[in-house]
Amino acid sequence: MKPTPVQEARGAEAARRWRRPAPWVRVALLAAFAAAPLVPSFQVVDLALKIAIFAALVASYDVLIGYTGIVSFGHAMFFGFGAYGVALAVGRLGAPTYGHLALGFTAAVCVSGVVAIAVGAFSLRVKAIFFAMITLAFAEFALILAVQASAFTGGEDGISPKFPGVLGSRTVTYYVVLAVAVALFFLMSRFVHSPLGRVLQAIRDNELRAEALGFRTFVFQSVASAFGSVVATILGGCYAMWVGYVNPESTLGIHIMLDILLMVIIGGIGTLYGGLIGAAFLLTAQTILPGLRAAGASLFPGSEWVQRLTERWPLYFGVLFILVVFFFPRGVIGTVRERAARRRGARA
Amino acid sequence: MTRRALPLAIAVGLLLLPLAFIEPRVYLTLTIAGLAMGMLIFLVASGLTLIFGLMDVLNFAHGALFSWGAYVGFSVFLTLNRQLGWADSPSVGLNALLLLAAIAATMLVAVALGVLLERIIVRPVYGQHMFQILITLGATIVMEELIRIGWGPNDQVMPVPFSFQGSWDVADVIVLRFPIVAIVVGALVYAAIAFVLARTRVGLIVRAGVESGEMIQALGHNIYRYFTGVFAAGAALAGLGGLMWAIFSQSVRPGMGGEQLIFAFIVVIIGGLGSVTGSLLGALLVGLSYNYVAFLLPKAAIGVNMAIMVLILLLRPSGLFGGGK
Repeated sequence: MKPTPVQEARGAEAARRWRRPAPWVRVALLAAFAAAPLVPSFQVVDLALKIAIFAALVASYDVLIGYTGIVSFGHAMFFGFGAYGVALAVGRLGAPTYGHLALGFTAAVCVSGVVAIAVGAFSLRVKAIFFAMITLAFAEFALILAVQASAFTGGEDGISPKFPGVLGSRTVTYYVVLAVAVALFFLMSRFVHSPLGRVLQAIRDNELRAEALGFRTFVFQSVASAFGSVVATILGGCYAMWVGYVNPESTLGIHIMLDILLMVIIGGIGTLYGGLIGAAFLLTAQTILPGLRAAGASLFPGSEWVQRLTERWPLYFGVLFILVVFFFPRGVIGTVRERAARRRGARA
Repeated sequence: MTRRALPLAIAVGLLLLPLAFIEPRVYLTLTIAGLAMGMLIFLVASGLTLIFGLMDVLNFAHGALFSWGAYVGFSVFLTLNRQLGWADSPSVGLNALLLLAAIAATMLVAVALGVLLERIIVRPVYGQHMFQILITLGATIVMEELIRIGWGPNDQVMPVPFSFQGSWDVADVIVLRFPIVAIVVGALVYAAIAFVLARTRVGLIVRAGVESGEMIQALGHNIYRYFTGVFAAGAALAGLGGLMWAIFSQSVRPGMGGEQLIFAFIVVIIGGLGSVTGSLLGALLVGLSYNYVAFLLPKAAIGVNMAIMVLILLLRPSGLFGGGK
């Protein structure tokens, strides 16, 4: 049977795909992450997996901010739900088993889905901008709750659960978490390129037009919010599995949210892969900076102002944040893609 | 008339409800504390709501302006107290003078910061909600970090002028002094805003701008000048709020603005975006219910404000006084 023109076009597209650099970059990245545990330094392995987790987390945030056009300040809260769900189920329900682990993930995902839908229903129905304000309030509420309900959550001290069976091994955990992160990344890529994802992008570009075309915008936005939040929750659980320690500061706090924002901006809003660049840049910088600070302090001994200025490195991240939004609003990947598209256009 | 009567009835009902659980004397003390807290939140929320109403800008940097106001006032208090002893002096006149000097300095710095913020940070991104949120958030980080560098990262104790310490005993009801000052200042600010908006030409144009900015421009007014003015005024109110809050809570912290910003957001949503009267009512509602609930069930205090906000969003999505905007 002769293939239809559409099938021919798809076949040509599939053949062309492997001639472009992008898929090879993906394969190389995957190989690099898979090979990271061979490096004898635990710091490098830890950094590699955190980059993988945060890259997926930032991508899940990008589904909201970049593909749906809604700004959430509750993404770290959903990440925290996952981390706490897993830590509580494994650490507080008696001896750790795989059942408890599954229970923790399931419970956290359910809670996140319900909360995300509810927040969407309160705010997106009225005004998309309310979403930013209300998620911020909810995130603060969750943080206070986690600190105050200390009998249950361990308060500021948090929980350090033991994980069951083969998950006691660092290397096994590494590959399990990496596999989950990669799978979620693939899922998100399918999500944003699906017909549903197209509708979301239409809403982002012009909400009134999408509404006029007959889409109930707030339903679509709520679905996107629930999807992104559930992905963040699963990644939170993975984070707890890897770090083995959960406290409000490291999983729920506002500065995790700021890190996510900075990563998504640096990498490029609406690119999905930008999260990887942003996460790699910021996490590497945060690993190296304390050493640099010590070096800076030894260069200028006794100067209190130099010490104060080097101590407050969030200041420089804040300045970077503003500069990137002003001069580089498409981020690294967005700018690279724009250049490449322009070059292709010039050649054609 | 019924549109106004309904929220009023709800407010009065909520005001009297806790009497069923709290004995009247404690209730009065809590009410005064709640009114004071509400007035201070109102100082932040009023600027936020006007800036949103007129310019369609959600200013996340409002909390940082609050912190800056608190720290500038803190410095004025420390300096004048160390040099001249104005805070420790038992003279009411000197204490009031100190407060006025601090208010003047705070508002001056806040206005300067507000103009800079509007001109440099906000103006390039008018009309783009997402970038507004991101860029004002970036400004918040920078401004808070500058506080940590300039004044140090830890909590510090705010000296409270002698006359504002302690309490009066009115018919067995303990009436703390500073909350009364805060209520008076808040009421004066509300009166001033209401007067400017209702009775002056500038207020007329601002109100018209809230309705339709394009029409104002078409009529030949330079709306950007009003944007800068309203932004600066909102910044001054946030700074004043920060100073008053620092005295009220007797401490300053770099992150204090961020927490107040969340209260202010809740208030602005309750009151209706763009409505000053709505934000006054919302602020009082939040301040009072926070204090009552904090007394009855300390751990639920934050939750009650969220609950009120969610309730209002479900019943009246545009807020108590919100228009169709």
